[in-house]
Amino acid sequence: MNAAPGSTRWLLGHELRLAWYGSALSGGKRRPGTVSIIVWVLAWAVMHGCAFALLYALRKSPMDDALMGMLAGGVLLACATFMLSNALRACVLALFERGDLDLLLSSPLPSRSIFSVRLLGVAASTAALFLFLFTPFAHVALVMGRPGWLAIYPALASLAIIIASIAMLLTLVLVRLLGARRTRVLAQVLAAVAGALLFLLSQAFNLVKHGDGAAIAQSVMRHGLFAPASPLWLPGRAALGEVLPLAGLVLLALAAYLLTVGRTHRFFVRGLQQAASIGHVAKRPPGALRFRFRRSLFDTIVIKEWRLIARDPHLISQVLLQLVYLVPLLVLILRGGDAPGPAIGAGLTLLCSSLTGGLAWIVISAEDAPDLLQSSPAAGRTLRLAKLAAATMPPLLLVALPLLWLIARAPLAGLMVAFTVTGAVLGGGLVVLWVGRPAPRSNFKTRGKENFLSTVLELLTTLSWGGLAWALVSLTAASADWVPPVAAGALALAMAVLALAWLLRRR
Amino acid sequence: MNDMTSDTLAPALRLRALRKHFGRPAVDGLDLTVRRGELYALLGPNGAGKTTTLRMVTGLLAPDDGQVEVLGVDLARDPAAAKRRMAYLPDDPMLYGKLKPTEYLEFVAGLWGLRPEDAEPRGRRLLDWLDLSRHAHELTEGFSRGMKQKLALAGALIHEPELLILDEPLTGLDAAAARQVKDLLVSHVAGGGTVILTTHILEVAEKLAQRIGIIRQGRLIAEGTLDELRERTAGGSLEDMFLQLTEGA
Repeated sequence: MNAAPGSTRWLLGHELRLAWYGSALSGGKRRPGTVSIIVWVLAWAVMHGCAFALLYALRKSPMDDALMGMLAGGVLLACATFMLSNALRACVLALFERGDLDLLLSSPLPSRSIFSVRLLGVAASTAALFLFLFTPFAHVALVMGRPGWLAIYPALASLAIIIASIAMLLTLVLVRLLGARRTRVLAQVLAAVAGALLFLLSQAFNLVKHGDGAAIAQSVMRHGLFAPASPLWLPGRAALGEVLPLAGLVLLALAAYLLTVGRTHRFFVRGLQQAASIGHVAKRPPGALRFRFRRSLFDTIVIKEWRLIARDPHLISQVLLQLVYLVPLLVLILRGGDAPGPAIGAGLTLLCSSLTGGLAWIVISAEDAPDLLQSSPAAGRTLRLAKLAAATMPPLLLVALPLLWLIARAPLAGLMVAFTVTGAVLGGGLVVLWVGRPAPRSNFKTRGKENFLSTVLELLTTLSWGGLAWALVSLTAASADWVPPVAAGALALAMAVLALAWLLRRR
Repeated sequence: MNDMTSDTLAPALRLRALRKHFGRPAVDGLDLTVRRGELYALLGPNGAGKTTTLRMVTGLLAPDDGQVEVLGVDLARDPAAAKRRMAYLPDDPMLYGKLKPTEYLEFVAGLWGLRPEDAEPRGRRLLDWLDLSRHAHELTEGFSRGMKQKLALAGALIHEPELLILDEPLTGLDAAAARQVKDLLVSHVAGGGTVILTTHILEVAEKLAQRIGIIRQGRLIAEGTLDELRERTAGGSLEDMFLQLTEGA
């Protein structure tokens, strides 16, 4: 039955429809494609399979309830970080960027309903992915005789409402302090950091699970905030069907919801959003205008590119996120024996290649003012070389120290890695220079889908230089019959990819 | 010597049988001459081919056929020499949101190969003239439309171009900013420069332009001073004449 136009239910339907258009499933289209639906249904079926495998294994070797609650609580806490960054983005969009609040507030709808529905919309879009991931466990557990796990539904919904409420209140504060645009950037950076944090935690776990670290970790888990009885794990216990924690979580969600709706309503009714949208005018620092005109066009371009990257926190977080994966490698380099392992050489090469690909895309493909460059008398060759230099120098500078360390410890292997890193960096940059396609910077995350050719060639060049690094470092450690042909093959592939990119270059 | 004479005598812009096709003709054998030291307004309804023409003149778009000559320099033969002497300001300012005005001017000056000792006083003068000095330390992404347009204009003027080409320079500007831009164009022409602009605000063309060209479907259908155009039509305001010419043809 359709809701009456203007009713809260009708408005909720409108809100959910907007959330649906913005979801990954619809891919921004009004209606999702059949292929998308089939893929998501299949993925959900696979999730049920995974849930069955896990719960079956759990039945064979049962786990203590307290430990189970800690495990579920840990998972939910990790999810909460992602939920918060998603919810922050959704709040900025719903309150400040969608631009329909003036229309809604000027209509006869009660303004409290507008904000309560908007908060529910944010909570729904925040919960969607996690319901997709975790409800298969509830279904399988029900079949396997654990009906309590159906509490995953209310627990996740309550958690999403709490997170959405926190995000909404945080957004109101941040928007007043920083403005809407910066708050959005902050949300994006938070999302990147949350992902990186999980990776680092998993690596830290790998590093401490053996040796002295294991004892320290066990001691931490037995006492204080991480002890089994800690309230930290209550959401986990609620999700597994414990009545009191579940009731507490639901009540907390209800209170957070009511408080947030009231606060948001007051914020808008008092016109504070207008003050926030006006933003802050930077004061002019004392002193006269300062110019730094340069004599060289090359320097001018390189400095401009680095400035643009350095001043875009979202892009930096996206690009530098890859560096997080360098941290465990560095630990291995510093802790390892005399000679670097083939994995370290290949890892450094792969990382530099990937980092260069990202930077080259920003510097070359995502030029903000291509018409300005084209309408200027500057030589195209100089412009291209300067842009290539701007993209390749940072990765090379970044790994210079670890490389010098490697060369000092094992000169031959270190030099081999230096060679493959340089080749990978130049190869990655040249591929983007030759076959990259212009795109706005905001498309950084989806750049792979937009230019299939460039993506494939970048991947091939990365893999071939990485493979070459592996083979060459192996060769320095011990002679094996398989190594020289593999090295020759990898080098040939790297050269062939470059030749192909040059042949297919945009003219 | 001969080249020098022909260069100084040559018009600011000469288009000969210029053509560009995007499935249908966008510019269809356009012949146009703009004299040095005049402000020429190129008018036409939406889709008439104004922007396509300007993009071909500035080297952003290659013509299918025809010739573009900028201050006596064949654009196809020596694009760098032609570009060095002109500047283009499109409808959407070509700016970098993450650069400050001073940094933007440093960059543009670098592209045009200006010497620092020449660029610095010009940059200072332009920022002061356009009231942007007090915003010189802010990122341009926070600027209003008018401030962005003025900064782009400063970038276009920093190399003191002989030919300034502007596509809808007054769109979205408030009265004060529009006045500043108009004054700047007039003073550029008074200083011996040439300005070609497109605009939908016919009063601007009526007040500022020495000659007006009207194009429709990629062809020049009328050209002359305001009085000459009035003679060709039933008279009245430029708006009346424009509508008569573009709808009646």
